[in-house]
Amino acid sequence: MTDKPSTTHHLPATPDTVHWGYFSRTLSPVLTIASGESVSIESITHHANDDYERMIAGDAAAEEIFRWTRDAKTMRRRGAGSTEGPFTHGNGEGLGVHLLTGPIAVEGAEPGDIIEVRVLDMWPRPSANPAYAGRFFGSNPSANWGFQYNDLITEPKQREVVTLYELDMTERSVSALYSYLWTPQTDPDGIVHPTIDYPGVRVDHSTVTKQDGVLAGIKVPARLHFGTMGLAPAEADFVSTIPPNYTGGNMDDWRIAKGATMYYPVAVEGGLFSCGDAHATQGDSELSGTAVEISLTGAFQFILHKKADLPGTVLEGLTHPLLETPDLWSVYGFSVPNYLSELGPDPQQAILSRGSLDDAMRDAFRKLRRFLMTVHGLSEDEAISLMSIAADFAVTQVVDANWGVTGSIRRSLFKGRQGAVR
Amino acid sequence: MTLQPFSSESYSEDVRPAAWLELLGGFGLAAGQPRGGMPIHATALSRLSSVGVRFGRLAAGPQTIAASPQRADLPLLLVPLDGGAALRTCEEQQILSAGQAVLLPREGDWQITFAREMRILALSVPGDAFLGRKVAPFSLRSPRTFGPDGLAGILTRTLQASADTLDRLPDGEWESLARSLAEWLLSLVTEAAATSADTSASKAALLQRIYRTIEARLTQEDISVADIARSEGISERYLQKVLGEGGDNFSHYVRERRLQRAWHDLANPAEAAVPISDVAYRYGFADSAHFSRLFRERFGMPPREFRRRESEIHAVAPAASGQRGWPQEALAQLRARQGKPGQSKPGQSPSAARRHAGPPVDSPADEPSRHHLAAHAGSVHWGYFSRSLAPVMAIGSGDVVTVETLTQHASDDPERMIAGDAGAESVFHWTATEKSVERRGAGPLDASIYGRGAGEGFGVHICTGPIAVRGAQPGDVLEVRILDIAPRPSQNPAFRGRVFGSSVAAWWGYHYSEFLTEPKPRETVTIYEIVADAEEPYAEAVHAYRWEPQTDPYGVRHQTYDYPGVKVAPGSVTRRIPTLDGIRIPLRLHFGVIAVAPREAELVDSVPPAYFGGNLDNWRLGKDAAVYLPVSVPGALLSIGDPHAAQGDGELSGTAIECSMTGTFRVVLHRKAELAATGMGALLGDLTYPLIETPEEWVLTGFSHPNYLAEFGAHGQSEVYAKSSLDLAMKDAFRKVRRFLMTTKGLTEDEAIALMSAAVDFGITQVVDGNWGVHAIVRKRLFGDGGLDGGR
Repeated sequence: MTDKPSTTHHLPATPDTVHWGYFSRTLSPVLTIASGESVSIESITHHANDDYERMIAGDAAAEEIFRWTRDAKTMRRRGAGSTEGPFTHGNGEGLGVHLLTGPIAVEGAEPGDIIEVRVLDMWPRPSANPAYAGRFFGSNPSANWGFQYNDLITEPKQREVVTLYELDMTERSVSALYSYLWTPQTDPDGIVHPTIDYPGVRVDHSTVTKQDGVLAGIKVPARLHFGTMGLAPAEADFVSTIPPNYTGGNMDDWRIAKGATMYYPVAVEGGLFSCGDAHATQGDSELSGTAVEISLTGAFQFILHKKADLPGTVLEGLTHPLLETPDLWSVYGFSVPNYLSELGPDPQQAILSRGSLDDAMRDAFRKLRRFLMTVHGLSEDEAISLMSIAADFAVTQVVDANWGVTGSIRRSLFKGRQGAVR
Repeated sequence: MTLQPFSSESYSEDVRPAAWLELLGGFGLAAGQPRGGMPIHATALSRLSSVGVRFGRLAAGPQTIAASPQRADLPLLLVPLDGGAALRTCEEQQILSAGQAVLLPREGDWQITFAREMRILALSVPGDAFLGRKVAPFSLRSPRTFGPDGLAGILTRTLQASADTLDRLPDGEWESLARSLAEWLLSLVTEAAATSADTSASKAALLQRIYRTIEARLTQEDISVADIARSEGISERYLQKVLGEGGDNFSHYVRERRLQRAWHDLANPAEAAVPISDVAYRYGFADSAHFSRLFRERFGMPPREFRRRESEIHAVAPAASGQRGWPQEALAQLRARQGKPGQSKPGQSPSAARRHAGPPVDSPADEPSRHHLAAHAGSVHWGYFSRSLAPVMAIGSGDVVTVETLTQHASDDPERMIAGDAGAESVFHWTATEKSVERRGAGPLDASIYGRGAGEGFGVHICTGPIAVRGAQPGDVLEVRILDIAPRPSQNPAFRGRVFGSSVAAWWGYHYSEFLTEPKPRETVTIYEIVADAEEPYAEAVHAYRWEPQTDPYGVRHQTYDYPGVKVAPGSVTRRIPTLDGIRIPLRLHFGVIAVAPREAELVDSVPPAYFGGNLDNWRLGKDAAVYLPVSVPGALLSIGDPHAAQGDGELSGTAIECSMTGTFRVVLHRKAELAATGMGALLGDLTYPLIETPEEWVLTGFSHPNYLAEFGAHGQSEVYAKSSLDLAMKDAFRKVRRFLMTTKGLTEDEAIALMSAAVDFGITQVVDGNWGVHAIVRKRLFGDGGLDGGR
């Protein structure tokens, strides 16, 4: 980690540069950059309060962002829900949970353009508590929105369990430290959280019983990535960060890692890029509802592609997020591709019950077919044959309301093709 | 969440019976220990309503069920889905027919024995499910069966329809369905009691009629004892007396019922727009302030607050969805026909190439440990698996066997893939008078369903085998390790030494329902050349053509690709060259089909994979990989086929690059009794599904329906096509990984779930084989060197 790339700008995470639980076209950019410039962006995980001592204490910025007493709550709104009390869970109602840094505006970006985001590098944010100085910690709750929650086989059923991990950057692996069963937590405003229903509630460790020795001897290879990166949608003023959508957001794909490039359709002036929800590692499906949630800083380069310049590139006709790695392209299929415009008057509620891999697979198939036909000039029959023998469909996540299936095609297939794109 | 999916796949072997009993207990049922040494397999999908109505479809192996004493509930309604279950009481024995409703007392001396698979619908309604409405204390003394007519018949058919959509109903709709089911059951019980000779029962029936009459008049402002008594033809005093015996008095009961009904309407999301005062008025409360007060006294919160809370609950209602693949009414018809005796036995094959057989005989194991099994008409079976096939070879555990396999798609370009190849010519030989392999598929030999051909193409893969493994018994595990794979070169002098394969975008493909371009729909065949000896081995397209109707040697015209092995006549199609120009596909040589014979049915379609392996279509099953299969018939009866040169995860168009190949396998039998001694117990002691091992990974195979033959019974080979879903396959994969991590790796459930989220990758195996697949990849390195058993 000695060779962090030098970037044009640095965007620290502070109460003024973060927003919590929502994307919004109404937010003023915290930084405006020109196409081609790069920014290193700090992010702080919204799960840091699962272990305050390891992930917040001593870290001035984290302490300030998470500050919440009876008299003061630095980040009042958390989620796209109601900001008028009385609250069920809290201001914003936790309809959206991710602590995002941004938004960053790209000069000249207009609806119809594409913003390319190159992930140059990323590195973890060390604990600032002297007791743990220099070490890296993350949290992985098995939560009520996880795939397992209604299908548990041991008692007590419908439980939530938080497992704390340590990231070893020398070995690039992740190991569990301890776990605890979630117990009802009372926030400083007096609201009781019987389940993990509002982000940033500090877990009172005197109310939980830590279990040591969990996952003993198991080392999970690190897959550092940002779970949430995306632009502001145009359809609503405040949009929950949980369901991924056509402008990106909570993709939860560990392949969006160092060396990868993401392309996002611009929906509002400036694009308004935000990121957060960093993960030390995750499996395809993010089964329990979360990954190993950790605070990372990422270095990104932003390139604006104007609408008029798209034909003849991989971006032609792109209406959804596209991943490009050195090896492959992935399109993202969702249960509902643009849920904000497809699901009637209250789409942010409606999407919560629409998660389906069957629908997401259908969407991924259509998007990949289009990609192969538009970008690579294949006939429909060629595209279908190629998809069957050489494209891989995988489960991205089954926990973010709008479930995801990726369709991936290896770039090497096209090396010998005349007029191949890139 | 009110939906309660259950699969025995979730549980390790030791707790599986207990978990099953717990599920049965929810319905007030108990069961004895399952018979036989086979691991129990049970699935259920049930749903519990907010007032305690529980309904579900349960499927499990042969067993006997009886009452498990319960709280004061209505009698249990049970509908067996297959005929032949025996209902025994102390007085009599009765054989239940399929779809016959039976009311069962909550306690008492009865039992039902399912000699074959148990598949039932069960509806359990607690006495307090009627929102405070009284239910007369019925004491049904003995089981009561119903004919297909009347309310019982309607209820039965409704239950069957409900079971089909149980997992897709939003919570609100499920609640109203559950209320209706409860009402109907109550009527049925009332009817049963009224026709009983027992006086206490008929009095209870009178009480029930009174309750019902009151219920019907709750909305009338001035409801009186006199009116109700008159309509029942009894005196007011007698009415009050009967009500009193029910533990209530008239005016209190009426008010309670009105409040309950209002509560119910306020909870109903469909009525969210109706003003509260209107709801109050509806039940005779003209003064809404008065109503609010009574409501709060009764339910602890004012009606407005109550409604707000209810609407929040409904806002996060779960839902599932699913588009289904490959509908095949034909298979339903097939099953119907197979039900008739004397049809569709493999032994009827006129070709006589394959014979009906008993279990393979154990001969002394002094044969050499290396074997070669060539592919020819006498060593293959086409489109089906069968426990009754005579083995073409017997081998011992640890033997190495080289098996030639042929792709059923060789006929897509016979010049390149059949001509000059004696083995392929022998298998594909078909003239106007001779067809060397008659049966292709698990359908009837006389092709009486569609007339496509013998076996009807219900199953398409050419499988080499079966190979009997000496000493293999149900409960053992067969390890099939792929030591090498070599593509089979063309023997046609014009193409000698070159290798070809075919990929068909077929009518069973995932894309078939939604073409963008004309003509719609269409089938397209692409022929590939496989270059296996290049530095980076690859395949590239040679030509492609649109399927045109083909006439087979018997004169049957195949409008679509509906029967395997029909040689495409030169000149009947227009070849498109170039196709996929400049594109090279990296090879992933593997076998799509590796199967042991399933136990459940005589002839099993080779297309849907399941617990016995079969058409796994997972490209990770290549060189240096192994698959572990649970043995379910003596000798195991191993078959191998469906060779693929490359395939993507999903196998979207319906096929991979189908290419004849020869594999070399080491086959090891892990006997159940010896697992502990050989240290394989943790890995294989509880294996109920195909487990793939690669040098780096464990790959667990999830299916929409892990054992569709047991789950759907006689209709399995039809239903599995209609009910495929990635959502179900994902659930199955999740449960299998959890069990694997808990049983094999000794993790707690919480550890297993945490690890799955952080480190296990779920991918889509295929969406075209009827029983769709989601696999889960568990990297061995997570557990340090080699993991528990994988180092070999």
